[in-house]
Amino acid sequence: METDEFVAHAPLDAEVLEAWIEAGWLLPRQDGAKRNFYDVDLARAHLIHDLERLGVNSEGIPVVLDLVDQLHGLRRTLRDLLSAIHAQPEAMRRLIVADLRAAVLDRTDGAAQEGPGSDEHQER
Amino acid sequence: MGADPYQTLGIKRDVSQGEIQKAYRRLAKKLHPDLNPGNKKAEEEFKNVSVAYDLLGDPDKRARFDRGEIDASGAERPQHRYYRDFAEAGASHPYATDAGFADFAGADDVLSEIFGRGGRANLRMRGQDVHYRLELDFLDAVNGAKRQLTLPDKSALDVTIPPGTRDGQILRLRGKGRPGIGGGPSGDALIEIEVRPHPIFTRKGDDIYVELPISLKEAVLGGKVKVPTPSGAVTMTVPKWTNTGRVLRLKGKGVPRPDGGRGDEHVTLKVMLPETPDPELEKLIAQWRPASVDAPSGAMGV
Repeated sequence: METDEFVAHAPLDAEVLEAWIEAGWLLPRQDGAKRNFYDVDLARAHLIHDLERLGVNSEGIPVVLDLVDQLHGLRRTLRDLLSAIHAQPEAMRRLIVADLRAAVLDRTDGAAQEGPGSDEHQER
Repeated sequence: MGADPYQTLGIKRDVSQGEIQKAYRRLAKKLHPDLNPGNKKAEEEFKNVSVAYDLLGDPDKRARFDRGEIDASGAERPQHRYYRDFAEAGASHPYATDAGFADFAGADDVLSEIFGRGGRANLRMRGQDVHYRLELDFLDAVNGAKRQLTLPDKSALDVTIPPGTRDGQILRLRGKGRPGIGGGPSGDALIEIEVRPHPIFTRKGDDIYVELPISLKEAVLGGKVKVPTPSGAVTMTVPKWTNTGRVLRLKGKGVPRPDGGRGDEHVTLKVMLPETPDPELEKLIAQWRPASVDAPSGAMGV
């Protein structure tokens, strides 16, 4: 959608839109002199609006957006990884799950030994 | 009729506006679908909390609600999709990033193949400019033309040569370079123009220079001659008694300028004797008795 239609649907006016684009919070695709917005931009504008309502100030918003984007990147990759594991033969899946479980156990054991007060449990 | 908005926000009816905002913010932080992308139930609850706050967060609406003038369903929210619905869907939008695990890539060859998608994808970059050379005929450069360039990928690029294009000029075609990265704008195509020389015209700035042969008769008696210009032949009057080297100016017959004007054409005249000797002319000149000694080389001190 072009700028006018975007402003009509998004929780902002033209001036705020310019400010958000200027700040790099929204990245419309440039098509010659025209700007193109997609549904993802609309949803992001709603998120920014909600963040402002939550009391996040203009310094905090790019921090939140960046972390949210990183989180989504991680979730996407984790999902890809899981579906790749799922596509493996049964025996292979069991091996992977066993290794993962061992890794999780290692981590929790290590944490227990290094944590505060762990001395008391050394001689258990 | 919706649920009681006070109950939804978990507050008493007599709390201050500030308390309402606080309650909303406390709940919304926990429930916002984009801040809690793994919580599928959050969306419905967040919607209820938002509807309640739309009503109670506005002191006027709250007062009208308290007086029973409007009910909770009066504050229906238009449906919108959350950012998480798009953000996780794929890397095909400019906000996608692998920065959250970019450091994994260096750890292992296998992992780098999986995670090394070129680092931070939401780095929005303008595409590169591409450079081309285009050779033009003299008159195409002066009068403007359309040309087609064939690009390395076999696609064609239409180039409009504006009138008045100069040798060495670089035409910029916006957005015709390499595509951008992460939704960034495309680069430009930069076309360096090379203009071939013309057999009769030369160009200096916006002016055209041409040398025009005229006959002895035209030189002595004057008359109308045809002169080539970049935009076609025109008729010019040669004054009586015109010598070789005399320059006549044709105003506005030069090179078009961007402002709509045009330079001039300067016509240098060159008196020509007939190609083959003409006995009649020789007789005429032999009988001719100039008033003074006619030896122009005398002016050079010889």
